[in-house]
Amino acid sequence: MSILAYNGGAIIAMKGKNCVAIASDKRFGIQAQTLSCNFDKIFEMGPHLYIALPGLATDTQTVQQKLKFRLNLYELRENRRIHPKAFASMVSNLLYERRFGPFFVEPVIAGLDPKTFEPFVCNLDLIGCPNIPEDFVVGGTCSEQLYGMCEALWKPDLLPDELFETISQALLNAVDRDAMSGWGARVYIIEKDKIVVKELKTRMD
Amino acid sequence: MASERYSFSLTTFSPSGKLVQIEYALAAVAAGAPSVGIKASNGIVLATENKHKSILYEEHSVFKVEMITKHIGMVYSGMGPDYRLLVKRARKMAQQYQLVYNEPIPTAQLVQRVAMVMQEYTQSGGVRPFGVSLLICGWDEGKPYLFQCDPSGAYFAWKATAMGKNFINGKTFLEKRYSEDLELDDAVHTAILTLKEGFEGQMTADNIEIGICDAEGFRRLDPSSVKDYLANIP
Amino acid sequence: MALAELCGFDKTFNFNGVPKDMGADIDENFFTGNFVSHTALALPPFPDPAENLQKFSVDESGKQLKIKFDHGTTTLGFQYQGGVVLAVDSRATGGQYIGSQTMKKIVEINDYLLGTLAGGAADCVYWDRVLAKQCRMYELRNRERISVAAASKLMANMVYNYKGMGLSMGMMICGWDKRGPGLYYVDSEGTRTAGKVFSVGSGSVYAFGVLDSGYRWDLTDEEAYDLGRRAIYHATHRDAYSGGIVRVYHMRSTGWIHISNEDCKDIHYKFVEEKENAVAGASV
Repeated sequence: MSILAYNGGAIIAMKGKNCVAIASDKRFGIQAQTLSCNFDKIFEMGPHLYIALPGLATDTQTVQQKLKFRLNLYELRENRRIHPKAFASMVSNLLYERRFGPFFVEPVIAGLDPKTFEPFVCNLDLIGCPNIPEDFVVGGTCSEQLYGMCEALWKPDLLPDELFETISQALLNAVDRDAMSGWGARVYIIEKDKIVVKELKTRMD
Repeated sequence: MASERYSFSLTTFSPSGKLVQIEYALAAVAAGAPSVGIKASNGIVLATENKHKSILYEEHSVFKVEMITKHIGMVYSGMGPDYRLLVKRARKMAQQYQLVYNEPIPTAQLVQRVAMVMQEYTQSGGVRPFGVSLLICGWDEGKPYLFQCDPSGAYFAWKATAMGKNFINGKTFLEKRYSEDLELDDAVHTAILTLKEGFEGQMTADNIEIGICDAEGFRRLDPSSVKDYLANIP
Repeated sequence: MALAELCGFDKTFNFNGVPKDMGADIDENFFTGNFVSHTALALPPFPDPAENLQKFSVDESGKQLKIKFDHGTTTLGFQYQGGVVLAVDSRATGGQYIGSQTMKKIVEINDYLLGTLAGGAADCVYWDRVLAKQCRMYELRNRERISVAAASKLMANMVYNYKGMGLSMGMMICGWDKRGPGLYYVDSEGTRTAGKVFSVGSGSVYAFGVLDSGYRWDLTDEEAYDLGRRAIYHATHRDAYSGGIVRVYHMRSTGWIHISNEDCKDIHYKFVEEKENAVAGASV
């Protein structure tokens, strides 16, 4: 089994109209054995900036800490908030530094531009190749299922509540076809002056 | 002089708390060719004297005004070779930043990093401080910026300033002529006038250099454009 | 047959001992020996298949080649004063992909025999089908139902013929005969053993945890059903390869009855509610 699937986990981020959403499951397991149903994989990196790090759990936490370290230094040095694009570039560099001994995470970034509040989503592979699409990104152990759900459900210019419904249905139905993810889910809806966090009721098997 | 006793060592505190090496570096700057920087509402101008000792010298071959990135430019007063090392480092740091963050380096960031290099040369072994002061201008996110960077590593943000020979007169002149709502063309005019204050001999397009920076980015003016500006000088 | 010729086999090479002179339907029966004899599967065309098959299960670098088929289960069965209770989950997985959440892992062999399946889904389903046929044949020939002991031994003997060739199954066979209730564990390695409490599959460790702590001989029927259900539910919660629906069956002297099919999600939130009420009750 792939080391990326050792602990399990699934992530989606989607663009809406003047908003973005990012969602993750909450499982932490060791192969087939579920150990926790409350494991965070989404981290706040600023008032409108979130990163999810699905993959090997130990690397999820290490990469999160390394990124926070670099981000704090950046914000002190430049005395301003980072742009999601610049942040994505920072993540890409951090990962490529370990080209020949990578961190086993496939990050997903969602955020709003600190000035224009333009929505932004992005994902990277484990050695930092960025992908910045116009609609949605996914990551984790059931990315095939997630892509399928997103392709079917996503539409342009979704309003925040529609976006919540879409991203939740996509996540829930994808993880129900994956043994390694699920066991609870959390959704963040990010708007200019409001961030809503919702817990989803899911299957627990 | 008592301070002479410390002159042979590297940058070391004198008993009075001065770093005389840095003061000497500043003296080298003050003896160097004058340069001027003025921030206008829609851009920044850098101007400097570029006189040649012999009529045999090939003009417009070695420049004093240099581009660092598309939107940042630099000029100096003091020692040319020291300047070129700093230009090389500044360009490298700007590219490094672009590589890491995938966006152009903010002017303030570049100044901070260049200043850090200059400071290192006041505290490291086996080196001497730079014999230059820099004027760095840039345009980011719709705003003009003008900084001066000294051999000590100190840096300042100016609306307008002068460095090098006669810099005190130059500054007094600028204080009288400067206004907040200056347009770039007027700023170029003022910069030339400031240089002209202590200028010995005839000022031509061949013995001054001008760089301007605005929303389009940074560029060095070619001699024909400089000539046009000079034509309007009384 | 080009490949066979290339390999040096002549046209009349016999893969599995089916008579050569079968006339017109030779083609049909040539490769499908189990149409005629259900226990005669096509074997690989070399001697001592059990041993030589091993050579084909690794690639050139010595890495194990995996054939992915549906796997992962939790099943349990236990005897108590009221008979035998069987409880199973319903998830079928191929690797980490969930192929089905509604699989029937209890096979109704006849009115007095039930089999559970764990391991390779195709193996279990096929051999249970063969067993059902054998048991019916026994009934017709002897005018009485087959005993659980005999049925389980039939199964064990059939799969033993293919030992080492990759069959993968771990099953419980339970029933009620002249000797009363019976519960046997049979697997593809050849094990056959009678017992009171069994749990089989990837989630069996979790199921045993619940089962062993709650098991008594004098359980009432309802208590027994609940114990089985709880054990399977807890296994589905912890084991990624178990889940879906918890199915409970009860074997009695009058034959088996189906007790319940409950969705794991419903059970989970029912248990959560019960727990909260208990805590609220305790704190009042």
